[in-house]
Amino acid sequence: MVESYPIIYIIGAVIAAIIIAMSVFFIIKSVKRAKKIGMDMSKIKKTVVSSAVFSIVPSIPIVIGVGIMMSSLGLAIPWIRLTVIGALQYELIAYNTANEALIGTGASTEVIVATAVTVMTLSILSGPLFNAIVYKKYQGKLADLQKKNGKLMNTVTGALLGGLLAGMLSALLVGGIFSVGSPSTEEATGIKTYGEITLITLAASLVIMGICGAIIKLGKQKWLENYALPITILGALAIAYGFTFVFNF
Amino acid sequence: MKKSDKVKETPVLTERDIYNNQMHNYGRLFTWISLGLICLVPVLYCVAAGTLPDWEALGKCVPFLLGYVAIGLIEAVSYAPLLGTGGQYMSFITGNVSNLKLPCALNAQNITGVEKGSEEQEIVTTISIAVSSIVTTLVIIIGLIPLLIFQEQIVEVLKPVSPYVIPAIFGGLTLVLIAQYFKIAIIPFVACILICVVGNLIGYGDALSQSTMVIVGMAVSGISTTVLYKLKKI
Repeated sequence: MVESYPIIYIIGAVIAAIIIAMSVFFIIKSVKRAKKIGMDMSKIKKTVVSSAVFSIVPSIPIVIGVGIMMSSLGLAIPWIRLTVIGALQYELIAYNTANEALIGTGASTEVIVATAVTVMTLSILSGPLFNAIVYKKYQGKLADLQKKNGKLMNTVTGALLGGLLAGMLSALLVGGIFSVGSPSTEEATGIKTYGEITLITLAASLVIMGICGAIIKLGKQKWLENYALPITILGALAIAYGFTFVFNF
Repeated sequence: MKKSDKVKETPVLTERDIYNNQMHNYGRLFTWISLGLICLVPVLYCVAAGTLPDWEALGKCVPFLLGYVAIGLIEAVSYAPLLGTGGQYMSFITGNVSNLKLPCALNAQNITGVEKGSEEQEIVTTISIAVSSIVTTLVIIIGLIPLLIFQEQIVEVLKPVSPYVIPAIFGGLTLVLIAQYFKIAIIPFVACILICVVGNLIGYGDALSQSTMVIVGMAVSGISTTVLYKLKKI
């Protein structure tokens, strides 16, 4: 494994501490504001519980991502890169682009890692820079639109959300159907994706959520609302995990 | 005309505006701090390893970097109306927006039943994304321990299931949101299906990844919803 220097672990710890401090700060500010406008505090409690439970399972692939990247970059750098902004697929492409640019140059491991980390860092700066410089003005325009024409603004946000769902579902469905019988293997990670399992997972998630919804509404089990989506994700993933053995056999 | 008439009127700020401005100020502060720390990582690595990046190789990566700069900007612009002020700053520091932060916030909004565009929605979204950021950061830190001990073994065990997390999230989430967004989402959904089918048939399926299709879906939805809005169909 590539060497991870102590200073990189230290900067990683500082970054993790800043993220936690920032998140706690925003929670405190929001709760104070909620109290000031007389918001029902049970909504805040529901938000905290549901968001905490929801976030556990989807965070696990991020840990797997650290594991996948650590053979090329050591442990500390992937930890930092996937804690801030990074997403595994983007990071791996950035790493591979830098690595490919150095093929045949006889560059040392240290030079390869330094180049890759620089590329990975530069490639993720535009979003936060936009926020730091332009976002306040942009959001001001959005707020003006909300004040002048609330219906239009709600339509715009609805359009973006509808588009997100449409784009994601179409990619999953069509990608799944086209890779039935011919699983795709991601070159950088070696991860095999079976179209059959993608479709089964999607269907399982729909069915489990449907069952949860029925229990909540028909069985009047309101407490389940907080846990319905986490249970759905966990259940669908358990089914997917079972099928990986069937298809890998 | 009196001289005072020419003076531009200062808009009266509501309490919500003042709160929102504070969120911007703190959000920007945390963003600058994070940017500084992120940029320190390659610098400190170079100092610790006593090396420098290969500048020629970096030059070769410029087209790739420009592509990512564009993606980052498109994401920041298009997710902004969905994430709220605090949520936008936090999401673009911690990442994993479409696969974790946004579904988490949507789930919280749905459970609490907050009104669209309301201050309550903004508060719920901010808290949801903040809690999600803390949990993810802690899960990653806790996950480092087994990674250090078992290294590749644990990755090998869990790796096969990782491509299926997104369908596991979006199947259930779609069922929750379908009633609200059916009218808006149906046209972009059909269009995206067609784009994906044609793309796969002509051999460009790999280019139509989930993240690409999310941007395509948002663009198509923006156009179709504008038309529906003008025709007063929604």
